[in-house]
Amino acid sequence: MVKEIERAGIPVVHMCTVTPISMTVGANRIVPTIAIPHPLGNPALSPEEEKAIRRKLVERALEALTTEVEDQTIFEV
Amino acid sequence: MKLELGYIQINDIQFSKECKVENSTLFVDPDAVKAFMYEDDDVKAWVKDFSFDVAKPGESVRITPVKDVIEPRVKVEGPGGVFPGVISKVDTVGSGKTHVLRGMAVVTAGKIVGFQEGIIDMSGPGADYTPFSKLNNFVVVAEPVEGYQDHKHEYEHAVRIAGLRAATFIGEIGRNVTPDETQEFETLGIKEGIEKYPDLPRVAYVHMLQTQGLLHDTYVYGVDAKRTLTTIINPTETMDGAIISGNCVSACDKNTTYHHLNNPVVKALFAAHGKTLNYVCNIITNENVYLADKQRSSDWSAKLCRLLDLDGAIVSQEGFGNPDTDLIMNTKKIELQGVKTTIITDEYAGQDGKSQSLADADPLADAVVTGGNANEVIILPKMDKVIGTLDYVDVIAGGHAGSLRPDGTIEAELQVITGATNEMGFNRLSAR
Repeated sequence: MVKEIERAGIPVVHMCTVTPISMTVGANRIVPTIAIPHPLGNPALSPEEEKAIRRKLVERALEALTTEVEDQTIFEV
Repeated sequence: MKLELGYIQINDIQFSKECKVENSTLFVDPDAVKAFMYEDDDVKAWVKDFSFDVAKPGESVRITPVKDVIEPRVKVEGPGGVFPGVISKVDTVGSGKTHVLRGMAVVTAGKIVGFQEGIIDMSGPGADYTPFSKLNNFVVVAEPVEGYQDHKHEYEHAVRIAGLRAATFIGEIGRNVTPDETQEFETLGIKEGIEKYPDLPRVAYVHMLQTQGLLHDTYVYGVDAKRTLTTIINPTETMDGAIISGNCVSACDKNTTYHHLNNPVVKALFAAHGKTLNYVCNIITNENVYLADKQRSSDWSAKLCRLLDLDGAIVSQEGFGNPDTDLIMNTKKIELQGVKTTIITDEYAGQDGKSQSLADADPLADAVVTGGNANEVIILPKMDKVIGTLDYVDVIAGGHAGSLRPDGTIEAELQVITGATNEMGFNRLSAR
C-alpha cells in the first residue's frame, strides 16, 4: 500500500514495529513504533503516558512526511 | 549427555478398566486419566468436563479444533522426569533412559481461541497433509467453565496442563514394558567433540520458538520463552519434553509438543553425527513482538554460533509473518560471523503461489528448505464422525466464510491442517 500510494505521487510515512520488513518492501520514510500487537500504544502505561507517546509518534511521522529523503530513511523516535 | 530412547510400538488403543500395554495395544481407563488431570487445581478451576475418544488411521474421522498433540513418554532411568518444570520437577533431563509410546499421541481439542486451532483428518486427502493421521490418537476434548472467555490465558494454561498430564499418565503405563527397539543419542562436551572429530564440520541447530504472546507461546523447563535470552540446550533434553507448546496459532506451521519431542532436525543431525558432521548442540531463540527483542535475540544467536566455533547452522522458524524477520536477522547475523546457514521455513505465496513467499529476505539467506505453501487450497470431504466441533471451520486461520459447505465438505487453505507445512520439515511437503 505504501508503494502504491507513493506511485500516485503522494508521500507516505510507514509507521511500523518491524522496520526491517518495511525496508525490504521498499518504504522510503519509516517511523518505528512500540510493538506488533500495539504499534501506537502500550498497555503497560497509564492513559496519560500512552497519550504522550502517541502524540510523540504522530508528530515524528508528520515531521518525516515533510522531510526530503534521498534514500530509505528510518526516523528514530 | 547420553539418552537411550526405548520405543514401545502402539498399534491400537482400547478403553479398559485395566491400564496396560499388551501386544502393541494400549489399554487405558479414561476415568483414571480424567481423575489424574483433575488433580491439578488450574484444570479443576477452568475445565468443566472432558470427553474422550480414539481416532485411528484410515477412519472417516475429523478432529477439530485441535490444540496440541503430545507423545506419551516416561523417564525410567536417570535424573528428572518428562516435561520438566511443568509436570515433573525442574531437574535437568536428557540423560538415562526414556520409554516412548510410539505410534500414538494424545490430542487435545475443543474451543479455546477458535480461529487458531487446527484440523486433523484421519483419512482422505487431508490425512496426507498431517503426520498425525498416521497415529492412534487418544483425543481429549475439553469443555470450558462458564465465563472462560474473559480468562483465555488461564483456560489455555489449564488445557495445556491437562494434555501434558494425560500424556504423562499414559506414558507411565509404559514404564515396565520392554521396548520393541532402542536407540541411543549422545552429545559430547565442546572439547571432547573437537578431539573426537577433528576433521568434521561443527554444526548446531538454531531452533526458533514462537513467543509472540497473546497465546502464541512456548515454554522451556516451564519458563515462558518470550522472557528468555537465546541460550544453549542439549538436543536430548528436548526428547524428554524440555520444550512444550502453548501455542494457539495457525495450525499448519506451529510446532506441537509432539514435534518438539520428535524434532526431525535433531534426528537428522544425530544420524549424521560423527559421520559427515559434528553435531554440537541446539541453540534456542525466541520470536518476540518488540523490535529490540528481535535484535537482541538474533545478536545473541550469532554470538553463540561464533563462540562455539561453528562451521554451519540449521535454522528452523516457527510461524510466519513477523517471525520471518527473526529468521532473516538470525540468518544474516550468523552468516556474517562466517558460519554457513541453511534455513527451514514455509511459504505464504498466495493461493496461486505467485506472491512473495516470506515477509522478509536477504541475499545471505541463500540456502532455503521450504515446508510448502500454506495458502494452497484444499477440498476436504465430509467425514462420518467429528470429534470436537465444526463450529470454528469458517473462522479458523486458513478458512473463510463458507469454508464449511452445506454438503459437509470443507474448502480451505492448507493452513487449517495441523502440521501441514511444519517448518522443522516434519511432514510430506518438506523437501526431504
